Amino acid sequence: MVRYFTRLRMRRIYKWGGRPYIFDRKLKSYGFEYLNMSVEGQEAVTTVTPGQYILIEGNDDEYPFVAKLLKFFGDESHKQKKALVQWFLRLSEVPQNKKLLLGRSPHPQEIFYYLGRACDNEINAESILDTPFPEPGTKDTLYVKLSWDTKAFNVLDPVLMQDTPASTPPKPALPLFPPCASPTATPVSRGPVRRALPTPDPTVMRRAGSVSDTRATMSAGKRSTLEAESIHSASKLSASKILSAKRRGSAADTPGVRKKLQLSIGASECLYLRMKELRNSVCFPCFLIQVTPSTPRHATPSIPSRTVPARQPGNILEEARARLHVSSVPESLPCREQEFQDIYNFVESKVMDGTGGCMYISGVPGTGKTATIHEVIRCLQHASDMDEIPTFRFIEINGMKMTDPHQAYVQILQKLTDQKVTADHAAALLEKRFSNPAPKKETTVLLVDELDLLWTRKQNVMYNLFDWPTRRHARLVVLTIANTMDLPERIMINRVASRLGLTRMSFQPYSFKQLQQIITSRLNKVKAFEEDALQLVSRKVAALSGDARRCLDICRRATEICEHSTSHPSSAGLVRMNHVMEALDEMFSSSYITAIRCASLQEQLFLRAVIAEFRRLGLEEATFQQVFVQHRALSRVEGLQPISVSEGLAVCQRLGACRLLLLEASRLDMLQRVRLNVSQDDVLYALKAVRD
Amino acid sequence: MSKRKVKETHMPVGECISQVQMILRERFCHQRLPEKPVGMESQHKHLLELLRRTAVHGESNSVLIVGPRGSGKTMLLNCVLRELLEVKDVNKNVLPVHLNGLLQTDDRIALKEITRQLNLENVVGDKVFGSFAENLAFLLEALKKGDRSSSRPVLFILDEFDLFAHHKNQTLLYNLLDVSQSAQAPVAVIGLTCRLDVLELLEKRVKSRFSHRQIHLLSSLSFIQYLDNVRSQLSLPQDFPDTNFYDEWNDGIKVRHFSSYPQLVDVLQRHYNSSKDFRSLHLLLMLALSRVSASKPAIKPTDLLEASRVCMVDSKANILHGLSILELCLIIAMKHLNDIYEGEPFNFQMVHNEFKKFLQRKSHSIHNFDKPVVIKAFEHLQQLELIKSMDSSTAKIQKEYQLMKLLLDHSQIMEALQKYPQCPTDVKQWAMSAFG
Repeated sequence: MVRYFTRLRMRRIYKWGGRPYIFDRKLKSYGFEYLNMSVEGQEAVTTVTPGQYILIEGNDDEYPFVAKLLKFFGDESHKQKKALVQWFLRLSEVPQNKKLLLGRSPHPQEIFYYLGRACDNEINAESILDTPFPEPGTKDTLYVKLSWDTKAFNVLDPVLMQDTPASTPPKPALPLFPPCASPTATPVSRGPVRRALPTPDPTVMRRAGSVSDTRATMSAGKRSTLEAESIHSASKLSASKILSAKRRGSAADTPGVRKKLQLSIGASECLYLRMKELRNSVCFPCFLIQVTPSTPRHATPSIPSRTVPARQPGNILEEARARLHVSSVPESLPCREQEFQDIYNFVESKVMDGTGGCMYISGVPGTGKTATIHEVIRCLQHASDMDEIPTFRFIEINGMKMTDPHQAYVQILQKLTDQKVTADHAAALLEKRFSNPAPKKETTVLLVDELDLLWTRKQNVMYNLFDWPTRRHARLVVLTIANTMDLPERIMINRVASRLGLTRMSFQPYSFKQLQQIITSRLNKVKAFEEDALQLVSRKVAALSGDARRCLDICRRATEICEHSTSHPSSAGLVRMNHVMEALDEMFSSSYITAIRCASLQEQLFLRAVIAEFRRLGLEEATFQQVFVQHRALSRVEGLQPISVSEGLAVCQRLGACRLLLLEASRLDMLQRVRLNVSQDDVLYALKAVRD
Repeated sequence: MSKRKVKETHMPVGECISQVQMILRERFCHQRLPEKPVGMESQHKHLLELLRRTAVHGESNSVLIVGPRGSGKTMLLNCVLRELLEVKDVNKNVLPVHLNGLLQTDDRIALKEITRQLNLENVVGDKVFGSFAENLAFLLEALKKGDRSSSRPVLFILDEFDLFAHHKNQTLLYNLLDVSQSAQAPVAVIGLTCRLDVLELLEKRVKSRFSHRQIHLLSSLSFIQYLDNVRSQLSLPQDFPDTNFYDEWNDGIKVRHFSSYPQLVDVLQRHYNSSKDFRSLHLLLMLALSRVSASKPAIKPTDLLEASRVCMVDSKANILHGLSILELCLIIAMKHLNDIYEGEPFNFQMVHNEFKKFLQRKSHSIHNFDKPVVIKAFEHLQQLELIKSMDSSTAKIQKEYQLMKLLLDHSQIMEALQKYPQCPTDVKQWAMSAFG
């Protein structure tokens, strides 16, 4: 039995084997025939030769990289051991937005032949994991069927897999890819597969039996040919788990281990169906897996879909309203051309060079910061699809969308690798990922929205975010967004602010011309507004905040008012000045004056009493008791029956609830202090209008 | 046959009365929705249109309904929802989520409640929700997955909206409003609040994402309309089983009955002056209704007068009537101290001295009390919260020297003395004299 060991505990020793031959005279490098790997203190030696499929140490312990070994070479001193490899990708390594291109749910053990150029195919030979591969036909077998060239999945060209290794592998039998692994050859090999009876394979059963009885039985009809049709390898973790289970199982049959293993299998019933589907297109080993039904590990939540489809806009005003909604994605982003270009150049140059950097973007809400960056990323993604720049990954986090600043690590890691871990662990993993050189690495573009929310007392989250890009192997571009221009100076300690650097950009509030242009471009020839009406809205908003969202909302409201103003919705014409005025009034006018006018008589009297008492005291604050004395006097003047103290307190509380008055806690009863929340002039103006 | 018919239309009076009680109580206490909201037609139309567009077109919206307490915000919203759900297409298409700022006091609880009301917890099966962070990510993912045309619109109804603005970072509001402004599952965020300054509570980022639609419910009800309301609230519905009783009852609350009692109009005017909202009106009518019985099968103006008297009564007057003579004397002493020192706080020793002065100089009927007895009386007043300690309770000051303030107005004391049963004349005179 081969001894297994984990990388964390053992130190591996790598030794060249065979006779060196000159590989490149100029570079003075030597080629080698095979590599012997052993573990300190153990005698077992694993030999790897070119042509074998190997696992390579990566960021993720559970899923090491998969590659095919092409060649070994090293320098004269034998210090550096290098290897040339052909990469295979797991689906988790494919960018999130490209996964849909596959068009089906992948087999969990499926890998893809990598045809891209972004990854360095020269690796350090010492990162090869020497985990022995299990017997062919176990569930850890990996399958390859398609190739991935960073843009699309293609059917694998059989020629690529034809090059068989020169020497036969010595120990763990690594199956070779046969030339028949192409769809054209399917009908030939499919026949026997389908007819094959599920006869349990003794070796598989032995393995499965030691782990769990219910787990898997495999139909391995026509084993000898099928084995040869796939790459077999084992995920390191599962292999070591099986072993540890075996070890423990020999001593005492612990049910805990068994349970854990069942979970780690995590296969669902649909696997069988999926396999069937796969089998129809390509010759795969035929599996028949019986699994106890369990809930999927990563359930995808969703809002239930509606029974009746949403109605499409019917007339011009509805069309305009749909286009003016903030959520609708515009065809272009006008008025931010300069900012767009700057950000584009920044990110593009970093992606091209494979370096990292930070950028800080500030601006008041509603000035198009996030929208511009999304637009930049869209363009860059397009460019990388057109092969103009290397591929990169885009990740977005938002300080407001997390409960705690440290959740940033968790979210970044989850978006990078689909792992779910705790914040501390995620920080450690990210640290490792960004500080170690890794063979296959593309640039990551990270957008941090609402940066100020990531502030912690020690500022370690911000520190890390800005420190990682400076690492040599990180290839990380961080774009940060916040509202205030001087945020780095105000809240960041020196070492954080210094790492953020001085690449800053601020988005000015839109001017009225820009706002007008934005609306016009959104409407895009839908004639729903009068020219003057648009100008009024843009001028008003530009004067107040320059918030494009506000502008769009007002226009939307104006279309509604326009629609309601006519009796029949279809006869409604253009949105005119008066509609816009009404919408502006609704949204910007303060409601205090109307509220005072609509208040009951006693409430109005109380407000007058408050002002009278303020004048008497010369202060802007009085106790309820003092105001109430005034109130009584006033009601006598007005010829009203004076109210009791309880009623007076109720009146006072009602005004306090609307926040016309500011009150102290009501347990102070008569001694609570009263202040006005509106200016005295406003109150007097409102009350005077009532009496007239 | 005919006998039975007669029986059907003429129920015994007791049964009629219990029917009346049931119908009207449901109206006053159970917040039964009226057929149509009164006096807020334009607001009703605005809100209905808005929600209909969310339900039918999948357009995301956000709106605030602002109005003083008792102005009918919830009533309006419930009427609109009822009307909206009657539409056939909408009925099975919207998912209302009701949250209340008083119940969901922080975002963690609010998120749990949203997940529960959206029935999303079924998706994860028996897996228990882990942390707050997971919960938030889960919900956001769920909302992000949806899109305008295919997923069911969610109506988030946030009662006491202002309290949500006090949650940490306003995370929930930011996320809900952000969803309403981006191409995700269609949502309508409806906030109900009585604070007019609610927009100032929102953080600038949250505020920018809010659409700034506000529906103000400020009733400009005139007194005539108010009287109409009183009548319509008291009148029986058309389908009342006993027609005779129905006619009698509705006749009893006609206009001429009201106007023939100027006193009644006065009382109602006073109520109208004090507050126009329906809540206080319902309280008044409820008290009047409770005086209706089988022996007195109609609401008389006197019932309303009596109910109004109960409504208007000062809450502290009854407490004062229940005090002992000694306690009353102490309160009078405090009143004099307040006059002398212009509302400065006093302590027990000062009150006791004042009281002793009174005993020596003017009193004929009251004997001297031991100091411990007086202290006990003083403590009783403090327990009744007629006086309140000004120091923080932690301070180690002897009871006699703790500074106190009187929580009574002069008018309240004088009124209570007038009505106090068998109050000694010398005490009354002492109270009325300018200085102790």
